[in-house]
Amino acid sequence: MGLKRNVPLSAALGYKGQGPFLAFILHRVGGAGMAIFITMHVLSTFAEMRGLAIGDALNKVYTSPPFQIFILFCVLFHAINGLRITLLDIFHAKLMPHYRKIIAVEWVVFILVFGFAAVSVVATAIGRM
Amino acid sequence: MEVTVKIFRYNPEKDARGNYVTYKIEAEPTDRILDVLEHIKGKTDGALSFRRSCAHGVCGSDAMRINGRNRLACKVLVRDVGANITIEPLLGMKVKKDLIVDMEPFFNNYKKMTPYLVNNSPLPADGRERLQSPEQRARFDESTKCILCAACTTSCPSFWANDEYFGPAAFVTAHRFIFDSRDEGASQRLMVLAETDGTVRCHTAYNCTDACPREIHITQAIGDLKMAMVTGKLE
Repeated sequence: MGLKRNVPLSAALGYKGQGPFLAFILHRVGGAGMAIFITMHVLSTFAEMRGLAIGDALNKVYTSPPFQIFILFCVLFHAINGLRITLLDIFHAKLMPHYRKIIAVEWVVFILVFGFAAVSVVATAIGRM
Repeated sequence: MEVTVKIFRYNPEKDARGNYVTYKIEAEPTDRILDVLEHIKGKTDGALSFRRSCAHGVCGSDAMRINGRNRLACKVLVRDVGANITIEPLLGMKVKKDLIVDMEPFFNNYKKMTPYLVNNSPLPADGRERLQSPEQRARFDESTKCILCAACTTSCPSFWANDEYFGPAAFVTAHRFIFDSRDEGASQRLMVLAETDGTVRCHTAYNCTDACPREIHITQAIGDLKMAMVTGKLE
């Protein structure tokens, strides 16, 4: 007898881990975001080839500035965080004791790169208006 | 000070699911969470169930989620967590009653690591102990500190998803023996670690390192194991 061991998403997300746990969650959000984008892209191309109106609608969604900013977040965070993980795996003996500082560096790099990219998207969108 | 304690309760004989019960008690800022639980059990609700043994951070019996983090109840003070305290059982294990979880899957994973010294070589010529230099001992010193409280394993997202995943505590045990210069079972353990439920599922979320009450750098130990698997070297 006893409660099942299933860990609901709310309980998992509610666990108070530190910076690396947040990075772990955002890494998966980034991966899921990219999968959604690629799926939409494939579906819209397929629909447009068939002359279906849904293709155009999907196209409008993923070319809209908010979605572009979202996908930029996904790609850039996934890439920069992936780089951090790879470096920690390869040079773990030297770098792992400094993992908190490395997370801080990652956030600085990410905010700079993402900020520049997001501003570019917004500026382009405003220029089109 | 008055402390509000919200505790996860589950009685398998009455409840279909768990619920939270809130208690208001007087506690000193220097009281441990274990003292708070003992107070509630002794004065308010004798049916409250939790594990405890040494109460000094050595036996590892009282690991639980305290304000959303895995901690030993005997090592956390009220002043560390404030006047609003939420206490829940470890995640990823079956809850048997209140804060007591079924540790069987955890120990099954531990056993897979061959958690004892393997050495079939004849004894040294003098018939006495197998000597080891201080440097050789230092190689695995940290991983000998593990008390098998399961705080690390049950803070790991990979374990939450799959309890067949060996988990950080099992890896620390493997590390303790693989890097012991007297041990001869490293290759056998590394083969086990290379399985699909092995170190490959560690995604460096560092929850284990944060949760460890013995401050073992678990993610680094797992990194040592990954490197040993790739290079085949134990240096």
